[in-house]
Amino acid sequence: MESFDLPLLAVRTSSAAVWTFLGYTVAVFVIAAMANRLLQGRHFLSEYFLGSRGLGVWAFALTFAATSASGGTFTGFPAKIYTHGWILALWIASYMVYPICTMGFLGKRINQVARKTGAITVPDVLRDRFDSRAFGLISTVLIIFFLGFNLVAQFKAGSVLLQTLLQDSTFFRVLRSGVEISMANASVFEGVNAGYLTCLLLFGIAVIFYTTYGGFHAVVWTDVMQGIVMVVGIIILLPLVLSQVGGMNQATHEMARMLPPRLGTATIVLPNAPTKAISTSDLWFRTVDQTEQVWLYRLSGTLTIPEGVQRVSEVKFVGIRTPEEIARQMQRFERPYAQERMETLKTQLIEAGVPTTRPDTAETNVATWPPTNEPALLIAELGEFHSYAQADQPGQYVMGPAPNLPSPEADVPASDAGFLPLGLAISFFFMWAISGTGQPQYMVRLMAFKDAKTLRSAIIAVTVYYGAIYFPLVIIFCYARILLPGMENEADKIMPALAVTVTENAGHGWLAGFLIAAPFAAVMSTVDSYLLVISSAVVRDVYQRNVDPDATEKTIKRLSYATTLIVGSVALAFAINPPRFLQDIIVYVGSGLAACFLVPVVAALYWPRANLLGCLGAMLGGFGMHLLMHLIGWQVYGEFTRPYDLFGFSPVIVGLGSSLIALIILTPLAPPPREELVRRYFCKGPSSLDDAVPPTAGESESS
Amino acid sequence: MANQPHDDPVYLHSRREALLILLLWGLSFFWTVPYCYLRGYQTLSNPEDLRLVWGMPAWVTWGVAVPWITCGILSILICLFVIRDDDLGHAGDEADSE
Repeated sequence: MESFDLPLLAVRTSSAAVWTFLGYTVAVFVIAAMANRLLQGRHFLSEYFLGSRGLGVWAFALTFAATSASGGTFTGFPAKIYTHGWILALWIASYMVYPICTMGFLGKRINQVARKTGAITVPDVLRDRFDSRAFGLISTVLIIFFLGFNLVAQFKAGSVLLQTLLQDSTFFRVLRSGVEISMANASVFEGVNAGYLTCLLLFGIAVIFYTTYGGFHAVVWTDVMQGIVMVVGIIILLPLVLSQVGGMNQATHEMARMLPPRLGTATIVLPNAPTKAISTSDLWFRTVDQTEQVWLYRLSGTLTIPEGVQRVSEVKFVGIRTPEEIARQMQRFERPYAQERMETLKTQLIEAGVPTTRPDTAETNVATWPPTNEPALLIAELGEFHSYAQADQPGQYVMGPAPNLPSPEADVPASDAGFLPLGLAISFFFMWAISGTGQPQYMVRLMAFKDAKTLRSAIIAVTVYYGAIYFPLVIIFCYARILLPGMENEADKIMPALAVTVTENAGHGWLAGFLIAAPFAAVMSTVDSYLLVISSAVVRDVYQRNVDPDATEKTIKRLSYATTLIVGSVALAFAINPPRFLQDIIVYVGSGLAACFLVPVVAALYWPRANLLGCLGAMLGGFGMHLLMHLIGWQVYGEFTRPYDLFGFSPVIVGLGSSLIALIILTPLAPPPREELVRRYFCKGPSSLDDAVPPTAGESESS
Repeated sequence: MANQPHDDPVYLHSRREALLILLLWGLSFFWTVPYCYLRGYQTLSNPEDLRLVWGMPAWVTWGVAVPWITCGILSILICLFVIRDDDLGHAGDEADSE
């Protein structure tokens, strides 16, 4: 398993981080308790899974915004900005219409249709609209399949972020030791990082508990709190970054002069074997060439030198190539904080019996630490380093196409196409706004707002909110390249690393705890919503609709609590050995759900002629083509999460196109839907509840 | 039963509003993607030649930031003046308010 250690987070921020985490956890538990009280005396299912359709503007706006902003917003997205630069402004550009598309396109209509039949899930809506139990079940299975995947990925993200937040604290070390002792006796945990597992348990148990106990209202109110934490985090981070890079004009020009770094590996050699194990990170090595030019290499991740070992091979490095960046980094080594860190490692090495040495500086493939003029304590024998395509061409971080990372593992040159070729730019413009509209987990929220006025106001609020988050994120993490060079190999950690760096530089290290809480809040607010959507699919769509329609309110209540608990626990168990590529899974799930649900739901709501054959065909057609693109990708590239882009378009476009074609071809092949169904959904008249499908026992008891 | 007109006001209003939203998405797409492709995908012979507007590369400002602001304003106008406050009905299982 990958090591998640990031000792970069200074010890001085740890107490603030622990207090942030504890305060946060207490707050969500209090919210869950308050929400649980609301469950008393209300229709249980509707309240537990849909908040009794009574969400006001702020609750609706912030729960929608926070659920959409997942762990990827503060991990994968910043990592991409850091790696590719300003081109990410185009990649994310369709967020300019995301709120009005995702909320306004279906919002009012799906809310009305759900009210007509008392539907509380998306499969409920589809089953009632086409009067087909099979359609309901198929859509339920697809939701459980996709969101189950995503839940595991989000649990992993939550654990990684929490570990970053807590790892320097005594509180965390004590817990980790306890977990380590427990793990030692169980072979199932072999290879699992104890710190990761500790945080997974802390994060997972907290989320599962408050979601299970409080239901929808607990999720919504914690989302509101989490939504506020996210935007405040950005509002603090933006001015700190801008002031430290000398303003936007200077920083953007500096990015224009940047040359992409070189990526490679080295063997760390010590003059003699240490008598104690040494673990460290954020180290810079340097070489000096014959023209006295200094070159810097940043160690990626954590370097662990076991006791008695003199050589550690295959250590990843990033070599900085822009002279201006190198000069600035050399100045940073003079800062008190950097000096203090260097002195700590020097002391560790000297205590472990490692002597200083003067290597032959004529050898250009030997880099040394410390990166100053002092005698060396660590030597890195540089191996093969890979360059980006067009490595000597400046301006790649401010223009398109941006540089693609070279592959350090395989000897494959970087693609000449660069990042975000036109086909992919078009795909992502569809991907966010259009496929966001097709996500059943967001559609459920659209079924929960109180009235049309609430929807209008909430769209305005989310439009402003997203403008305040996403565009500033591009600015912040473009300039992170200037403040934290050489993090290409661990770009997923750029958010916490930047939070620590800018707050340290500003002399307010305690603020880092609050800033790191923003991504943590994003993950938490996504996990709780997905958890509830999956458990509602099981309880409502599988059990109540198909197994026991006469189940009593008491049975449904117990089953809802038990299902939420079990679904959460199963996802947590899978997350112990999670998939590696978080962002890839998030993209796979998001595009897959859109390919399955967007066309059938839009047709169900807006096309009176739409029938079961057309819509079911559209759902399965979208699912099939999307899956096919991933299976071809698996065959061609060897990875399921790296899909094949047919005609240069991502699978979401191919899936949506196929879904639409299936709808258009198949609908005329079957007769139109029954007259009373069309009348109920498309004609003015008495409330359709009068002629709706008779309510099940659980509903009628409480109505 | 004879065919009835599809005259549910929520359906009619929602359909019109959905079409307008689709139009707004189209506007943002046809402004942003071609503009950024034509102005942003170029090789800089000299980094100092990069034209900045508001501290960002000019293609980002005119291709993303300005349409972002425009679409934000249009979204707000649509919410204020186009989307109707229709009665969405009552489900029987709902609470009065948040």
